[in-house]
Amino acid sequence: MSDQHNIRVLLVDDEETLLEYLSKRLLKKGFAVKATFSGEQAVEVAQNETYDVAIVDLKMPGIDGVETQKRLRQIQPFLQCIVLTGHGSVESALESGQQEAFEYLLKPVDYDKLLVAISEAYKRKVEIQTARFREEVEKVQMAGMGPRGIRKAIRELEKIYGIE
Amino acid sequence: MESNSSSEAELKKVTRELASYKIELHQIRAYLQCILQNASDLIFSTDAGGSLLSFSKGGEKVLGYSWIEVVGRPITDLAEDPETFEPVMVSCMKDGSGVALDVPFLHKEGTTVYCNASLMDLINREGQRVGTVGICQDITRWKKLQEDLVQVDRLAEIGRIAAGVGHEINNPVAVIKEAAAWAGEVVSDAKGLSADDRQELEEVMETISAQTERCRNITHKLLGFARESLPTKIELDIHELLKETIAFLNPQLKHTTIKIGLAFTEEPLLVNSDPRLLEQVFVNLIANAIHALLEKGGDDRRIEIGTLRKSSEVEIRVEDNADGIPKEDQGKIFELFYTTKPPGKGTGLGLPISKNVVSNLGGELTFESKVGVGTTFTVRIPVS
Repeated sequence: MSDQHNIRVLLVDDEETLLEYLSKRLLKKGFAVKATFSGEQAVEVAQNETYDVAIVDLKMPGIDGVETQKRLRQIQPFLQCIVLTGHGSVESALESGQQEAFEYLLKPVDYDKLLVAISEAYKRKVEIQTARFREEVEKVQMAGMGPRGIRKAIRELEKIYGIE
Repeated sequence: MESNSSSEAELKKVTRELASYKIELHQIRAYLQCILQNASDLIFSTDAGGSLLSFSKGGEKVLGYSWIEVVGRPITDLAEDPETFEPVMVSCMKDGSGVALDVPFLHKEGTTVYCNASLMDLINREGQRVGTVGICQDITRWKKLQEDLVQVDRLAEIGRIAAGVGHEINNPVAVIKEAAAWAGEVVSDAKGLSADDRQELEEVMETISAQTERCRNITHKLLGFARESLPTKIELDIHELLKETIAFLNPQLKHTTIKIGLAFTEEPLLVNSDPRLLEQVFVNLIANAIHALLEKGGDDRRIEIGTLRKSSEVEIRVEDNADGIPKEDQGKIFELFYTTKPPGKGTGLGLPISKNVVSNLGGELTFESKVGVGTTFTVRIPVS
């Protein structure tokens, strides 16, 4: 799992002690981890830094998990969210049409399942992002700009898509 | 002569009137008799001293006495507690009539019978009180129903509280789980630990993890029980579902002498129901049978799973030849948290959940058990 070193994970949960240990474990695994303790804080952090996967608790004071992931994806449309829920709210979250999340996991979360979910969510993110990037590059090439214009446009795109 | 004939006419008139009074009286008596014979309430009358003069047919049903047994006895003899009954009578009668609610009477067989009693003074022509008439309506069943309702309401409330507690407990359990897992990693990375200490610490961490897992299972089962969700019904073959369930439980049967026999009907048993919920029930019933057989030991250990199709319902039986359930425990097996399994093996949730699930599917879960012979659980569910 060498590519874990590249995965940037944003944690959002009001249970601070839980995040303390969870982020320690994920860091040790090689993930880049940022812990935030409310939806609002997560949204603020996401304004300045790009993440690949967000792990969001459904029930939080302030804006809840569903709203948080909605706002996060407005800022970073490729970000994949894993939502953690108490028992019984998986269905209710799905039923209410909030199927935006990459996956719903029951709390207390099974660590191995979480690791699998993170790496799959990351894969999905990269796929979507790459596909969109190619589309945009094609568009730029079709637009009939000169070589210098194309290079500039692509550099811009690389910046937007967080590709180095 | 004239006065003679007029008094003769008078006599005739009086005789006629008397005859018609007699008829009227007869009718009134028949009418009253009819009421006393047919009313389901206890209707009695006493003399001024409170001794019973009459006792209606309804009273015989309500209190179990025939009127011959009680006539002449004081009315207080019929009360559950004569001393508290007196004041009730007196306060009721202050204004010549009154109503007393929830008056406890005593049935001939010793049980308490609650009545709403209306009491009236019986007044003679001189305006003197010569006795009391009472009409008592048996409200015991209604009262019982009311108590049951209060109990049901309380249980529902306990259910809601338990669900809330389950949710809340989940958070600290999640924290403990993470903290223990982290501590485990720290231990495995730590240098300078002796081999013994390392092993001991690793075992402790494993225990904590296993126990939080146990908490998690309990809260999730409990929340699954408390959650009100409508079953989603699809067409399914009960036989297929049972075979899958048995395959799922098969690992538990390895290295045991337990045999599972199938007595299925020849045709597939198609029903319109919720496969996930039904599977949960079958898992519970078969796992219970396996557990009971493991306790029994010996070589002759069998589970027979049989199916039957009836006109509008299907029947699934799970029968074991384990030790059976003692009579005194049979009333408790559907109670929440009642378990005979050792700590850690049973939550006491399986059977009450199963019963709840089956009745949500419009069916019924029953059992029969005989000590030394075995136990049979029967699930009946409607075809659609």
